[in-house]
Amino acid sequence: MTLLSDIRDYPWTSLIAGLLPARVVSRLPARFQARPAQIIPSASIAGNALTVVIAIMTFLACLTAGAVYMVNRSAQAWVNDITSEITVELDPVNTADIEKKMTLVALFLAKQKGITQVKPLTADDSAKLLEPWLGESTALSALPIPRLIAVEIDRSNPPDIEMIKEALSQNFEGVTLDDHRRWQAEIKTLTRSAALGGLAVLGLVAAATIAVIVSATRSAMATNREIIEVLHFVGANERFISREFERHFLGLGVRAGLTGAIAAAIGFLLFPILTHMLGGGIVTAAETERLIGTGELDLPGYFLCVLVVFVVACLCMVTSRLGVIRVLKSYD
Amino acid sequence: MIRFDNVGLRYGAGPEILRDVTFHVLPGSFHFLTGPSGAGKTTLLRLLFMSLRPSRGLVFVLGENVAELSPAGRAELRRRIGIVFQDFRLLDHLTTWENVALPLRVLGKREQDYRDDVTDLLHWVGLGERINAYPETLSGGEKQRAAIARAVIGRPELLLADEPTGNVDPVIGNRLLRLFVELNRLGTSVIIATHDHALMDQLDAPRLTLFDGHLQMR
Repeated sequence: MTLLSDIRDYPWTSLIAGLLPARVVSRLPARFQARPAQIIPSASIAGNALTVVIAIMTFLACLTAGAVYMVNRSAQAWVNDITSEITVELDPVNTADIEKKMTLVALFLAKQKGITQVKPLTADDSAKLLEPWLGESTALSALPIPRLIAVEIDRSNPPDIEMIKEALSQNFEGVTLDDHRRWQAEIKTLTRSAALGGLAVLGLVAAATIAVIVSATRSAMATNREIIEVLHFVGANERFISREFERHFLGLGVRAGLTGAIAAAIGFLLFPILTHMLGGGIVTAAETERLIGTGELDLPGYFLCVLVVFVVACLCMVTSRLGVIRVLKSYD
Repeated sequence: MIRFDNVGLRYGAGPEILRDVTFHVLPGSFHFLTGPSGAGKTTLLRLLFMSLRPSRGLVFVLGENVAELSPAGRAELRRRIGIVFQDFRLLDHLTTWENVALPLRVLGKREQDYRDDVTDLLHWVGLGERINAYPETLSGGEKQRAAIARAVIGRPELLLADEPTGNVDPVIGNRLLRLFVELNRLGTSVIIATHDHALMDQLDAPRLTLFDGHLQMR
């Protein structure tokens, strides 16, 4: 009930009015324009240094959150791709007519339930897959390169992989099936590691922000000790005094948070250009794209940045409130 | 209204500033608190205002045992008490009007509901022309009157004043005393700490006299 009444009674209109330029406020309804003198002067709360620190913290938090989001998005796309596909591998050694065997296996696979497409890869296609490691060479044709059949499966009605595996091994010699489970597990591990790393960085940023706000609150309380005493004497309770401080810190959090988030958004927009300018070239761009996509955030990604601003602002407000209450308790 | 039972107070391990102070004040009464400088008048007022805790004894203010009150309870009780400090304690970044209106703002009242009351009171204490002035530009006497106006604007049940006429000329001093008497007539209990005998002689009110840490009522 206290929290609800706190939210209901909170001077939201004056808070909003405080964040907007005077000429905008003058066009708002009367309740937004009634701005009584601040009991705790803004100038005594925090200087530009604190704003810059919180903006940098928000910038780092947005970059981390955005990067983790992009890695997750790319990893999800990989997983989706490989879970809808299996690969059948034919060993060319001891096989007289590999092309015939390819056709037979492909026909066999096409008859199975839950398989939507069967695509035998030519010898050239298989050789191309090895080119990144072995380079372009005519010697590849002399090597016994395994032949592959890419099989697309119906994810809504998947085939019985184990049954197909067994049938292949019984009917065809030197034919194996790879359902990419190991690769999927590795991607999931990588994604989870990236997410955990990101969370750890976000946790550190949050801890640093809390420490900075606690320090700033104490400093503000010390600077305004005389005002707090007078408020005490005229009967102000903890709630009133802490609200006076938290209003300033919320405004500070929103302003600094938005600055940091906008800087991060610009960073995400410029990231592909910067990568190119810094000499990455096509290979680096391609590698980056493979890892985290194009490096540009989509709408949910930008929403995540807005969420970071919201969290930072709330963190500023709640931390300052708890800090004020703690100091006030020491007065009593 | 107020009751002190064997109250003693010392700062840290120092000697007792107040010793075995016992007295009671009835609702609607008017008292002077007097004694030589350093006798403990301000300390006694701070005990009454709950900004100090006694080292021993019991203090009842407005019928409440102060030792049993929570911080919120003490804040609630302070709202029923007006206090005038010797050093005024006006907020420098607020105008005279805003300083006087502060207790009402803290109570959560709407400005339009008390705007005229604050302005009228400031005119009454002779600060009608200084409504928008900041404390830095006020004289000592003007600050004193602003501090008194702030203490009485909320019609407190108990008014505590520490040397309220110390910085004003006799004319304004008499006017302020009349304000205190008027408030008392309306039901506010008043305790004025002063060593101004001329002021005390103007009113037939009981005197609580502090000397060497002990209190006597005359």
